[in-house]
Formats: sequence, structure tokens, C-alpha cells
Amino acid sequence: MLAAVSSATLTGVDGQPVTVEVHVSSGLPAYQVVGLPDTAVRESRERVRAAVLSSGMQWPMQRITVNLAPGGVRKSGSGLELAVALGVLAASEQLPTGVLDGVAVLGELGLDGSVRPVPGALALVDSLTRAGRPSVVVPIANAAEAELVGDAHVRAARDLGELRACLQGEEPWPDWDPPLVDPDADLDADDDLADLAEVRGLAFARGALEVAAAGGHHLLMWGPPGTGKTMLARRLSTILAPLEAGEALEVTRIHSAAGQPIRGRLLRDRPMRAPHHTASTAALVGGGSARPRPGEVTLAHRGILFLDELGEFAPSALDALRQPLEERVVRISRQGSSLAFPAAFQLVACTNPCPCGRVPRECCCTEAAKARYRRRLSAPLVDRFDLRIPVSAPLPDDRPGESSAAVRDRVVAAVARQRARYADWPWSLNAHVPAGAVARLVPLDADAEREWQHLIEERLLTGRGAARILRVARTVADLADEPTVTGEHLQSAALAREDLS
Amino acid sequence: MNRPGPSPLDPEQVAAATLACLPEMTPNRLRAILDAFGDTVHALDAVIRGHVAGTVRAVTRPHLQDAIDPLTRLWSAVARDDQLPALLARRGTHVHVEGRADWPFRDMPDAPAVLLAEGAAPDALSRPRVAVVGTRAATPHGLADAYELGGHLAEGGCTVVSGLAIGIDGAAHEGALDAGGTAVGVVGTGLDVVYPRRHRVLFERVRDQGLIVSELGYGVGPRKAAFPIRNRIIAGLADVVVVVEATERGGARITADRAIDYGRQVFAMPGSRRNPASVGANQLLYDGALPLLQPSDVFVQLGLTQGARHAARPQPGGDEGRVLRACCGEPTTLDELTSRTGIDVRALVGIVRTLERDRWLTRKDGLYWPMT
Repeated sequence: MLAAVSSATLTGVDGQPVTVEVHVSSGLPAYQVVGLPDTAVRESRERVRAAVLSSGMQWPMQRITVNLAPGGVRKSGSGLELAVALGVLAASEQLPTGVLDGVAVLGELGLDGSVRPVPGALALVDSLTRAGRPSVVVPIANAAEAELVGDAHVRAARDLGELRACLQGEEPWPDWDPPLVDPDADLDADDDLADLAEVRGLAFARGALEVAAAGGHHLLMWGPPGTGKTMLARRLSTILAPLEAGEALEVTRIHSAAGQPIRGRLLRDRPMRAPHHTASTAALVGGGSARPRPGEVTLAHRGILFLDELGEFAPSALDALRQPLEERVVRISRQGSSLAFPAAFQLVACTNPCPCGRVPRECCCTEAAKARYRRRLSAPLVDRFDLRIPVSAPLPDDRPGESSAAVRDRVVAAVARQRARYADWPWSLNAHVPAGAVARLVPLDADAEREWQHLIEERLLTGRGAARILRVARTVADLADEPTVTGEHLQSAALAREDLS
Repeated sequence: MNRPGPSPLDPEQVAAATLACLPEMTPNRLRAILDAFGDTVHALDAVIRGHVAGTVRAVTRPHLQDAIDPLTRLWSAVARDDQLPALLARRGTHVHVEGRADWPFRDMPDAPAVLLAEGAAPDALSRPRVAVVGTRAATPHGLADAYELGGHLAEGGCTVVSGLAIGIDGAAHEGALDAGGTAVGVVGTGLDVVYPRRHRVLFERVRDQGLIVSELGYGVGPRKAAFPIRNRIIAGLADVVVVVEATERGGARITADRAIDYGRQVFAMPGSRRNPASVGANQLLYDGALPLLQPSDVFVQLGLTQGARHAARPQPGGDEGRVLRACCGEPTTLDELTSRTGIDVRALVGIVRTLERDRWLTRKDGLYWPMT
């Protein structure tokens, strides 16, 4: 007898629909899995058998062949076990084949027949829905997460015996508890305590932070320790425009696939990842041999990657960031497979200006020592920051600044202006305008043209730098709600891109 | 090289250059050999005959004694091989030898015995010579001061002597050259070695408008120990030494100390005590150097008429003037300027950019340095 059950597996951060075919035939009792299974899938044999027996059903003493299709995709994890078990039951005529038509099944089995949650349920259900199989049975612990995929028809499974009864209509489907968190409350309630209003002074750096938030520009802050660089950077997430509806599902799916806890609702705030400077190249950009996993840049997709003490990161790890910074995707190639992890992140970094770390006025480092220290940051990486600003210590009489809410309102308005302007283009933020299109898309007024000439004469502009200054100037103009870039906007942009000499 | 050809070298000069260019020749050894054998021609003859080992041994430290016999044999072979005169002619090298009319050193007990010079202005050493020295880790203020001072001195007819190093040295040379004056660069390597590499262009300019001098032979590369020894030549060549910015223990302090030993007048430019690059100069003032308040102070010291005075630029007015005054002459951050003037940072950015463009402010490492 032959039975086929729909299921799905994870490749990278995406779900991949899989058809589990089970063939039971006469012959010596045996159990064979074919179709590029990994070790976890191969090992599932004993669990499936124990679960079937514990649930009061028979394990056929015949030759069982399990085929996982499509054959060319590597299947990983234990999420296919429930589908295998149902396939065995159907092929051994303990379950009518018809009840499995049009239903996809996800879940790991316990020896007692209980159905256990699987990582990446959101990504798996999403891929099944896209493949035209919106009706899914998921472990009860994953049900709330699976339901986030709007079009999916989700049913929950508690254990194998009950599931068999439900499928045949003998018992009602179990209900699941609603998500523990109130769907309207902010997930990051703790972080709400952080607000830009707490940051005293630093008027220039605050301005640059606002521009970075509005235009999606990469931001490098440098200054002596204890001046508030990290404090500012950590508050960037409080002034960002929230995720769009499509982005929210995309980001939540990635986090689900990466095994991050999903608390029963879509992420609304942009993610902020802050890996420690000892992070390896694989931890930053993703990798791993058998089953490549997404790195911090992918978890920061549509959000912020914050690298504190940029100069302390391994140079090789930093250089690996250059390609995703440019293409907004990480390509990982392994023998026989190639994965693309989305990585449209905004890079925010802090560094000290010199080894002694004192304020520049009291710095005692030689020029050579400073140059050596700054060489740790490769020039191509530093060049990719649109905004490079010095941060100096706040002054004793500085007052607290504007609140995050006020700044965020301006940022949201500026983002809306950019989306409207770039509606016909494949990008939506000033920072993503290709260099070739910048001159055409960023018109300068007469005053700005004059300032532009000055900048060229003072040799403050290089080819690549010119496009970056124009993009930033465009964002400054958007924040001020002005249609063309004026000389003042250009001046702000030029001052916010200081050379680390 | 289309430079005006110098007068051909006489045998004494060729012999002096040959001695100076021998491998592992040091100022001490050269001095000892010349003292032992009288003039350069006889000394060279002694080297060729291999008679100098004893003399060299007397001024060589014990652990190097074993190397002397092979070295003097090598010298004998090198000195016999007469390729050097062709090289000297090709490069247009001038050779100063102690005791001759054009010998530039006086009152200097440890003067070099031979000085090699290359450049288009052989008369550079016949004018009043002022050394302008300072730290490599100079601030924008120090660089501007050195540049201006170099220009004033050049306009007043002085030759600016310095070490062609990064920082104050280079700025002083550039100021003098830009004002159309002459500069003498004293290098701590052979004349055919450009060090630091960053100053390639400046080396060429000094060669075209002044002189590059060294007591070391062709091909000698940079060695850390050679630079303090080189500094005594800067002090010895100068009639007056001006220290612009110097760290507590740096090459500029060595130059100033040597200058005091040789009885030269030393000026130091006073700086803020918060500026680590001014500590050495301020210490010199405490130790009795004269403060340099005006470039003309140097001319007075040299007994020259006062150099041309420069009219001060008219200060900017309005908000720009306010911002410039708010710097109080010190390096200042944007945040400090906002706080002191009460001008919103967005408006301030434009004002600061205008001041920067008009060279009232110079930006470095996030600080704005007011200029005059």
C-alpha cells in the first residue's frame, strides 16, 4: 500500500514543502528512508515506531520505505515525524487515505505519541500556504504562531491517537490557548523605558541619529569612551518607523526559522541585534557546514545591526559584511546547495578614535599609533557608512533632549515621503538609491549647487562619497519636508561624513 | 636632471665624499680617521692601503671589534673602485669639507667632517639660517603656525632649515617654499633615500628650491638611532632655532638642547598647557628659551630689518563672528558651540561649514580649530 502526506522542512530561513511517501509491502520487516534525509530524520525511525505503538496502533511487520520528495532538497530536523507516522498508518490501512488529502502535517513525536513543537513553524506554514496547501495540522504549541499566516487554516494536534480520531471526525479538534501576551501590548515592554529624552546634550549626534533613522543610512559614531555613543545607538530602535505589514511577516518568519521565540504575534518593532565583538564570521553573516544557519545580519533584516567597539571585531568578520551591505542578501554556498539569506540591515557602529581613548584635545597618541588603530577598520568598510560622526562628552549644563516619540513622528513622516517618491522604483529609502540614479533623483537648488562646487574645490568629495552625501542631503530635506535639496541640507550632510584621518 | 651644474669637485671633495659613502661609515669613525691622517686625500689613501683598522678600533664598542678587520678590507676594495665620482657628477652633489671657505658650521664641537648636499640653490647656506622644528604629532594650530612662520622667514630673506619630517618640519618647509623662499632639509638617511615616503613631493620641491643635506653616504636607509644624531646638524646649521610644538621627549627637544650647547638662540612658541603637543615647547620656555610672539622677533635676534608685516584679515561678523568668538581660540566641538551660542545645531552646521570654507575654522577629529 502507498500513502502520501504533505509536510515541510526548513532550508535556511525558508520553508520547503515536502511530500512524504510511505510504501508498505510484503518482505522482511525493514524501515528505509530515502530522499536526502539528515541524521535527525534518519533517527526518527525509533521515535515514530514507539509513538505508533504507544498510541495503541500496530507497527506493520513488513518492508516500509519512506521517500521524501523532492529528492534534491536536503531534509533536516524532526518536523517530518508526524507526517511519517500518519503515512505509515495510512499505508498499513489503519487510517483511511482520504482524510489526509489536502492536509499538510508538521510535528515531532514523543515516545508516548505526544506531538511536540517544531522550530520555524511560521516559515513552514507560510511556505505551504504559498504552495497552495493552506490546510495544516501543527503541534498545539505551534498553533498560535502558525495562525499568524493569515490565509492558513490551522488545526492543532496534541497526540497521535487523538489526531487519528480527529482526522476521521470521531473527536472534535482541540482548541489552543490564545497567546500569553496581550496582542495589543508592545512585546518589548521593558525596552520602552529607554527613551531619547534621557540623553543629555549631544545635539549634533542626535541629529545624525534622526537622519540615519529616516533614510536608512549606515551610521558610524566615534568618540572617547563614556560619551554616550552606545546609549544613543541603543535608542535608535525607539525612533524607527514600525515594520510594514509585509515586512512584519517576513521578519517574524526569519526569527521563527532561526529558532527565536515567537510570542504568538507578528513582530512590530524593527529588530535590533547587537553581537559582541568576539563574534565569528559565521555568527555574523551565517554559515555552518551541514545545515547553514542564518547569522546576525539576517536576524537584523529590516532592522539594525549594532556593532559596538567596531575596531575590536575580527577584521575578517568585518570584511565579510561588505557583500551583504552592498547586496542586502547573504549567499552561502555549500557543496551541492546554495542558500540566500535576506540581510537588508542598517549598520550602526561605534568605535574609539585612538588607542588612548581620550578626548581628541587631550589625546597623547602619535599620528602613527592613530593610523595603526584606524587601519583595523578597512577603508572599504568605513566608506560604506553614509554618516560618520564624532561624538564628544556631554557638557555639564546640557539639558535632556526631545523624547523619542517626537523624533519618531518626524522620522515616520520622512519615511512616508520617501515611499511615495520611490513608489515606482524597487527601493523605498534614500540610502538604497543606486549611485547611478542619485544625481538624477536628488535635485539641487542654486544655493546647493554653489555649496556643491565648494565641496569639490575643497576636495571634501570623492566619487563614492559624493553619492553618499547627496543621499544624506536628500534625507535631511525629507525631514524638513522640502522638495529640493538646499545648500543648508548639503552642508549638514557634508559635516556628518567626517574622515577618520 | 636639468639642474644648473655645480662647479666640478676637486680631489679633496671627491675623497671626502668617498670616505663618507663607505659602508658602515659613521660620523665618529670618519672624524677619527680624518684626525689621524690629516686631510681627506691622505685619509682615503690610508683606507685604500688598509691602514685604518687601529684608528677605527679605538672608536668602536667592544662587541663589534671582530667585525673591523673584514670591514676595513671591504673599505679598501670599495674605495679603490672609482664609481663614486660619476655618481656625484650625475646627481650634481656638492661636497662640503671641514676647513674650507664654504664650511657651514661654526662653534660646533661635534660637527660632521663632511656634508653632502643636493639641490638647485647652492647659496641657500650663505643666508641667515633659521631652524623651525617640532613634533610629528602636531595640531592644526601648530601646523598653521609653522607654515606661517616658514613663510615670514622666507620673505625676510632667511633660509628655513628643518628635518623634512611629518608635522611641524614639513609645514615649515612648505610655508617657506610657498612664499618663494629657500629651504634646507637635513635628512637622517642617504641623499637618495626618501623618508618618510609620504613627503616624496616635498623632497622634490626642497631639491628644486633649496638643498637637501646629509652627512651619511648614498644608500643609507632610515634607522631610528640616526635621527637624533641628524638633529645636531639642524641645530648646528641654524643661527636661530624656533620650536613650534614639541612633545615632552621628542626630536625637537634634542634639537633645542643641542642648539643651547652650541650657543644658538632658541625660541619656543608658547601653547596651551592642555595641549600635549605644547608641553615640550612650554618646558623650553620655563628653561629659559625666548617666547616667540611674532616672527619678527627672529629678525631682531638675527639683527636683520623687520620682515614684511601682514595685515590681519577682517573678522567675520554676525552669527559667524559669534560662533568664531565662541571658540575662544581653542579647539571646540559642535555641541560646545551650540551650548555657548544658543544657536540651534541645524543652523550652526551651515555657519560652521561657511567658516570652514573661508578657512576660519579647520576640522580635525571632530574638533574645530579657529585660525587667524
